[in-house]
Amino acid sequence: MTASHEIETLLRETAEKLLREKKVNLFLGYEKASLPFRTAPLFLTAPEDAQRLAWNPFCSANLAVYLPRLFKAPADAREAALAAPPTVGMVLKGCDARSVVALIQERQLQREKLVLVGVACPGMVDMLKAQRAVRGCEVLGAGEDAQGNVRAVVEDGTEVTLRRAEILADACQECRTPMPSIRDIMLGTAVENKDTGVARQRTAEFGSKPLDARWACFQAMLSKCIRCNACRQACPMCYCKDCLLDQTRPKWVSAGSDISDVTIYHLVRAFHMAGRCTQCGACARACPVGIDARLLARKLSQEVEDLYGYRPGEGIEATPPLSTFAMDDPQEFLTEPSLIPAPYHPAGEAQQGGRAQ
Amino acid sequence: MTEKRISHTDLEGLLGRLGERGDVFAPGKDEGGDVVLMGPRHDGPVALDYRNFRLSPKAFLLPQNQTLIRFEDGKAQEPSVPDRETFLFGVRPCDARAMSALDKVFLEADPPDPYYAQLRAKTAVIALACTQPVSSCFCTSVGGGPGDGAGADVLAVELESELLLRPRTAKGEEVLAFLGDLLTEATPAAVKEADERIRAAEDRIAPVKIDDSVQRLGHAYDSPLWEAAGQKCLGCGICSFLCPTCHCFDITDEVRGGTGRRVRTWDCCAFPLFTLHASGHNPRPTPKERWRQRVMHKFRYAVENFEQVFCVGCGRCVRNCPAGMDLRTLLKTIGA
Amino acid sequence: MVRNPYLPYPARIDEVIVENEARDIKTFRLAFEDSGSAEEFRHLPGQFAELSLPGVGEAPFGIASSPTETGYLLFTVKQTGLFTSELHSVESGTSIGVRGPMGRPFPWDRMAGKNLLIVGGGFAFTTLRAAIKYVLDPANRSRFGSLLAIYGARTSGELMYKNDLAQWQGRDDIDLHLTVDKADEGWTGHEGVVTTVLKGLKPSPQNTLAIVCGPPVMIRFTLYSLGELGFTDDAIILSLEMRMKCGIGKCGRCNIGSKYVCKDGPVFTRQELKSLPAEY
Repeated sequence: MTASHEIETLLRETAEKLLREKKVNLFLGYEKASLPFRTAPLFLTAPEDAQRLAWNPFCSANLAVYLPRLFKAPADAREAALAAPPTVGMVLKGCDARSVVALIQERQLQREKLVLVGVACPGMVDMLKAQRAVRGCEVLGAGEDAQGNVRAVVEDGTEVTLRRAEILADACQECRTPMPSIRDIMLGTAVENKDTGVARQRTAEFGSKPLDARWACFQAMLSKCIRCNACRQACPMCYCKDCLLDQTRPKWVSAGSDISDVTIYHLVRAFHMAGRCTQCGACARACPVGIDARLLARKLSQEVEDLYGYRPGEGIEATPPLSTFAMDDPQEFLTEPSLIPAPYHPAGEAQQGGRAQ
Repeated sequence: MTEKRISHTDLEGLLGRLGERGDVFAPGKDEGGDVVLMGPRHDGPVALDYRNFRLSPKAFLLPQNQTLIRFEDGKAQEPSVPDRETFLFGVRPCDARAMSALDKVFLEADPPDPYYAQLRAKTAVIALACTQPVSSCFCTSVGGGPGDGAGADVLAVELESELLLRPRTAKGEEVLAFLGDLLTEATPAAVKEADERIRAAEDRIAPVKIDDSVQRLGHAYDSPLWEAAGQKCLGCGICSFLCPTCHCFDITDEVRGGTGRRVRTWDCCAFPLFTLHASGHNPRPTPKERWRQRVMHKFRYAVENFEQVFCVGCGRCVRNCPAGMDLRTLLKTIGA
Repeated sequence: MVRNPYLPYPARIDEVIVENEARDIKTFRLAFEDSGSAEEFRHLPGQFAELSLPGVGEAPFGIASSPTETGYLLFTVKQTGLFTSELHSVESGTSIGVRGPMGRPFPWDRMAGKNLLIVGGGFAFTTLRAAIKYVLDPANRSRFGSLLAIYGARTSGELMYKNDLAQWQGRDDIDLHLTVDKADEGWTGHEGVVTTVLKGLKPSPQNTLAIVCGPPVMIRFTLYSLGELGFTDDAIILSLEMRMKCGIGKCGRCNIGSKYVCKDGPVFTRQELKSLPAEY
């Protein structure tokens, strides 16, 4: 895999060229943030600012979240007639690419208005894991060494090496496609996608707990929720203009952090992610109180994969099963309950052709 | 106001004595290893090795969900709130100072808010001065400091082997008097050590020129920097909900059967629906207007209305923003 | 003991009057359950109150009745969202909560001794009705100069307060001009937008204060015309609308710059508004 600083140089050159040649109006990337272990999104319009672009172990944010709003038609019809959607350049990792594919499939983006600069992702660092690895000491700065590990300078001036593998984000540990499946330009060398099986393993581990224990776990996790909506706002797939969870007519869920409202919020969001969630981890990363917002969505994604063989964001020609309708879709399930594949059969036990629980 | 002291080893006893009178919340480690304000009965060991709590203690005065009215068969009743005193120990000076800002809105501005007033009256705040600021702290740039006692009833300062206790209000004096024989008079040496430690902490905080930001914001309404910042804002509520001075709220009714309540919940000006009219018109239609409102409210409008910046420099917004936004960066350059 | 400003006065809807042809504007006549509440609730035209239905919510409405109309309050409500839809579906006898009075009223102290020009359009005429009733009350009339009122709506069916309008047209202490965008059969008033009528009447700005309430487009053109007629910014009074919740300047929602529309408004002079950011 190509070293980060080489990618960074290539990225800056590529962005500068695209902007200078007016192939794009806007380039989306990352820049250094004011605190260590993270980066901030960068919206570039001037070619000379391309030097601000960064590529390092902290480029974990999913920038695809900013795309729907760039392509959204303005509410004012007069404005809409004048403005054309911008041509947007963007650096993207495997997970970002999956989100872009899913958004294109859902007609939120126009493919011809995107110039995608792909990078094979080595996995990004989780800020909280890194902070815990330095045992709460203040970090003055952090960078990357030749092996791809993180070098951090702590407050007393000493340098500490944190092994990347140990502070990799959960989503990155589980990632099956670090290679962007969609791209116009490729920076650095490609990598082979492989399934580490970690995601399945973790879901199975959780699922093996007795029902009471699982529920207790959910309640403990959700009782920390402060309804800041960060998980939803950071998610590229949550682009609904009027979110169900904000509606007042009818009021499906109240505002505030009452546990029953919190539970409904997370359950509804998880179900709305079924077959759409690209497992990028933006939700968990955004959460200020450390809720693993990926837990439910990951399980539902695996169910959709098992039932329909569909993996969101991995093939732009693939048909999202839960948002398309074919005339020959089986409809017997409406009249013949026994045809519902286990484990969804009301009797609960695995019958013909189902997976064992 | 006479200063007192107590040895570190007797701190648990002090909290126990307060526990005889009211609910005591003091810093303790949760299962995740984070230090939070734990209570109402403080059983475990007091953890003093923390910078600040992830969430601010404003929920003690302005709860995230607060019943304003109870409905029974359509009749409105005020809810009864237990009068039991609450003691908060270990609140950092920034968070205590934030309480004095909230006082300006909820107590001093007419009409006073009775719900806030009741909670404020029954709560005694024992702040704990900071000795280890972090790089995202900027309290000294907004009129506060690691040893500031504004908003607190008592300011405690950790010394080598003891805690100095400095009363700040009449309530603070009363609390220290109640603790009676558990405390001894502070020696001049202890007072000197406290001041030195506070000064050392102050020196470690990088100053940000905020005072002239207030002036510059007065003519920065049309600055292009708002658009640049607003582009990145995701529109979540992390900054407002974690901020100790943010106080915007929503009021909604909840009813099941004939019983129900009118409840106040935290709201956030960055939420897209915050200013949406029923007609569909929204005076702040994009993140640019909403981000501008946030900064203007805290650093300009609050100064015009209350002569106080509604930011205490705690740094939570900087540390927790998922888009890595840092309002210090904007304040340094806006309107220049 | 100071009253809890979040606790509504209990009241009762005594009458529901459909105001317009489209039937989406209704006036509700309310009476306080407790005479003590009526004593405490002393308002001036221009102010508003928060009405609430338990379990539904609360919303702010301009008070359409003058304090000189004793024993009841009038609120005119257009059906738009959650609360107004629910309110439109209830009948007389329904209990309703009232919080208020809130906000800064029209500047009655300044208006004393002046000629008054009232310009209203569409649904925004509600507090102007209160203002006119107040001025015309025998106890008050001699305190003010001439009263010229222009009220316009899309069609004659959309004009509100038809009984009051008919009554006022018969009086000689008010010069009332009604106008519709599209006249229908039998219409004897003006045809054209409010600003056309205003320009035709050419009221003098001399010792006159103008109160303007209406949809944003109407306000824009009316302000322009008033400027041309020589009215200065501090002689033009407007009433703004904002999304509100607490109504008492605490929830942080309704501000324009450093001013809260619920506390420092909703009434502002044009001069005051010019010093505020155009974020409304």
